[in-house]
Amino acid sequence: MGMVNVLISVSLAYVFFLFMVAFFADRAAARGRSKWLQSPLIYTLSLSIYCTAWTFYGAVGYAARSGVEFLTIYLGPSIVMIGWWLILRKLVRIGRSQRVTSIADLISSRFGKSNSLAVVVTVIAVVGTTPYIALQLQSVTLALDAFAGDAVSQSVGASATSLWLAVGLALFTVLFGTRNLDANERHDGVVMAIAVEAVVKLVALVSVGLFVIWGIGGGVGPVLERISQSDIARWDVSSGRWMGLMFLSAAALLTLPRMFQVMVVENEDERHLATASWAFPAYLILMSLFVVPIAVIGLEYMPAGANPDLFVLTLPLAEGKNTLAMLSFLGGFSSATSMVIVAAIALSTMVSNHIVMPIWLSAQGSTAMVAGDVRHVVLLSRRLSIMGVLTLGYLYHHTTGGGEALASIGLISFAGVAQTLPALMGGIFWRGATRVGALLGMVVGFVLWAYTLFMPSFGAEVFMSQAFLENGPYGITWLRPQALFGIASDDPVIHSIVWSMSLNTITFFVFSLLSFPTPLERLQGAQFVNVFDHSARPGGWSRGLAEAEDLLVMAQRILGPAEAQALFRTEAVSQGITGYLPETTPEFLQRLEREMAGSVGAATAHAMIGQILGRASVTVEDLMAVADETAQIMEYSNQLEAKSAELIRTARQLRAANEKLTQMSVQKDAFLSQISHELRTPMTSIRAFSEILREGGLDDAALAKYAGIIHDEAIRLTRLLDDLLDLSVLENGQVSLNEKEGRIGEVLNQAVAAAGTENSRLRIVRSRVREDWVIYTDLDRLSQVFINLISNALKYCDTHRPRLEISVRDLDEAIAIDFIDNGSGIPAASQDVIFEKFSRAGSDQAAGGAGLGLAICKEIMNRLGGTVSYLPGQGGAAFRVLLPKTVLRSGRIS
Amino acid sequence: MTRKSENPIFLERERYRRRRLMDGARLSPVLAAFLFLLPLMWGASEQVPTASVLIFLFGAWAALIVLTAILSRRLRNATRENWQERP
Repeated sequence: MGMVNVLISVSLAYVFFLFMVAFFADRAAARGRSKWLQSPLIYTLSLSIYCTAWTFYGAVGYAARSGVEFLTIYLGPSIVMIGWWLILRKLVRIGRSQRVTSIADLISSRFGKSNSLAVVVTVIAVVGTTPYIALQLQSVTLALDAFAGDAVSQSVGASATSLWLAVGLALFTVLFGTRNLDANERHDGVVMAIAVEAVVKLVALVSVGLFVIWGIGGGVGPVLERISQSDIARWDVSSGRWMGLMFLSAAALLTLPRMFQVMVVENEDERHLATASWAFPAYLILMSLFVVPIAVIGLEYMPAGANPDLFVLTLPLAEGKNTLAMLSFLGGFSSATSMVIVAAIALSTMVSNHIVMPIWLSAQGSTAMVAGDVRHVVLLSRRLSIMGVLTLGYLYHHTTGGGEALASIGLISFAGVAQTLPALMGGIFWRGATRVGALLGMVVGFVLWAYTLFMPSFGAEVFMSQAFLENGPYGITWLRPQALFGIASDDPVIHSIVWSMSLNTITFFVFSLLSFPTPLERLQGAQFVNVFDHSARPGGWSRGLAEAEDLLVMAQRILGPAEAQALFRTEAVSQGITGYLPETTPEFLQRLEREMAGSVGAATAHAMIGQILGRASVTVEDLMAVADETAQIMEYSNQLEAKSAELIRTARQLRAANEKLTQMSVQKDAFLSQISHELRTPMTSIRAFSEILREGGLDDAALAKYAGIIHDEAIRLTRLLDDLLDLSVLENGQVSLNEKEGRIGEVLNQAVAAAGTENSRLRIVRSRVREDWVIYTDLDRLSQVFINLISNALKYCDTHRPRLEISVRDLDEAIAIDFIDNGSGIPAASQDVIFEKFSRAGSDQAAGGAGLGLAICKEIMNRLGGTVSYLPGQGGAAFRVLLPKTVLRSGRIS
Repeated sequence: MTRKSENPIFLERERYRRRRLMDGARLSPVLAAFLFLLPLMWGASEQVPTASVLIFLFGAWAALIVLTAILSRRLRNATRENWQERP
């Protein structure tokens, strides 16, 4: 009994020491002095929670029963670590870029942040880990009993020992695993304590090993000799078991929740993995180096009925080395406690994030914006989950009675968690993997595992009766749990692995091929599989619906007020907004979701933001809306450009119109002074000569001359007034046309004659053959237009040898009559206005008229259905008269 | 060979080495699996003592660890720019 008291005091002191280590590590991390905490060595040592009490005690027992086979449990993980470049590196990168909190979170996040998937993984993990926790409780209880020679069990009962152990571990885990809701889900204190425990268990096992080889066995050579003479001297393993167990342990390294926790979630730096890739196998080789010697010497020295699982402890005890035995006990204790603590943390994170929180949130009502800090709820649910997990482990231990060999319990656990392997590997290497495939595959695998391995492990009459086990349900023999489909196997573990893993994988593949993933799944799939190509964030939330204030209220509850406000403030500042409420851009929503995922898991964070946005996931419609928005913006910008071009055009037209108006106004002013001058000049002559006539006393010749002048001036006035009247009549449309049939050539002859060109220097060039068109129109008015154009040439053509070319052309739609002289033409500035009333190109002096001629021409041609226009670029002034072909009559007359 | 033309060849070689280093890292688990499964061949032929199997397995294991240590150290240095640290 005294021995037991010493043992218990030493254990308590050890636990207190671990407390201090964890406490100071946490403090150092909080102060930012965690450089030495984040070394590759600590990372490698933390991975050693793979070696639990199963390794410490069970491996020797395993070796004593089955020889070298125990090595498979360490060779498998070594292969995975050696191949770190292939799988682990990718897992760690994904875990980092997606802020994964657990293996359930990773799988659910990969398959479209599906919470149902996370629930399945969580259930598998909890059920699969329960035997493992029971195993730890059992091993420590056995060790205590071995030390005290059944004294403890007799005084307080075997169950009580494991109960107290479970309570103590729960307390430690709650204290250090859930002290704070770390955004990164890291537990520096716990990791440090685990690293210390890893050293303790390695030192303990190596010490016992060295003692056994040199203290008892007498050196390496003699020990090898003894191995060759022992019960396990022959190399005799079943190939199936050798390969199957190696596969199983390799899978377990990737899928065990606690391994995922230390390997991916707690990883500080990807480079640590490079070190761990060789350092962790080295740790494993040291842990397994002495197993066979201890087993062989134990078998030789210990009495026949001794439990080989405890040789590590009982050999030093039997040799009287109490200190070594104490160290050995502490090593086993360390192995058990570190495993239980990390497993409980990992499982409680999963249970809390994927089962408790979603239920609690939906129980709170439809909105995620209820006031109050939600963090205490998360912490409470985690603490309760830890206790729940340990209670389950204790119950398993209590129910199975602790009678089984440690190794077989561990294998049951491995086979359970390995059911997530196809979904995990498919998820990170195959973009075609879908949620449906993963879900069905895992459910099939899990059910088969439970049916063929887990439930039978409780022994007959707990879940399955003896008859059920032997004959199958209702006597259907091909459904016998341990000989499924009529294929009997002497090895229930391999039997179960083969069926559950193969059908799991097949289901996963077939349903992945048959189903169609949601857009979010496809986005996440690309993110996961191509994690090294682009570490960009997946697209998701579209802008607009989320209110920044609601989001802040929610974020405060999860991240804590200070952190949430800091996050929002930083974002607002980066957007150039003062205050705490940034624009809810998709990028910001993405970041917020990621931050929250660090606390409550991806699925819950996604669902919570979804609640505020008014929907739970990204749909094709959302993606299309985003695309539409972009398209709309582009279209709008195109429209703006078009409008702007139109405006520029209009402005140009307006400017031109304005210029024209200004010019016309100037011309009108000029005309008014001109017309008054034109009217005044004849009026002045008429008045002056009529006054002379009134005074009388003139001879006949003078009389006739003065009267002639008065008459001429009156005619000039009349003509001017006639022109004005003519124009006004034409403009008002009151003119009536006198239409007749005639030839263009004749009209031109008449016009040339009337223009009075015979006595001038102007030479007229015509091509009479082309003028041979018969037209039906008002010939007099047309002639008036021609006369005007010819007399213009007469007046304005300013060369020494003036020449006017009149040509008739047949255009498709009309007949063109061009009047082209060889003068200097009309300056471009005046071309616009020459057809306006009162307009005159050039100086006033050269113009004999009032500037109404071309305006009249234009009005006449309008009336006749044609046009007259200035034809630029002909080497002189050029006018084109267009007559529509409708005026043609019955072709030409030869 | 002039100094100027040396540089690109040197760089290419570097990159080539890095690629082969990655290939080595990818293939080393295959080698490990092969070595660890090799003892299964012996069981069928004749009676093999546990001691020799143990010596073989531990030897292969240690050799693989040394190989991995060399490979991962080189990979770590060669691909320095690709590593991410947690913020």
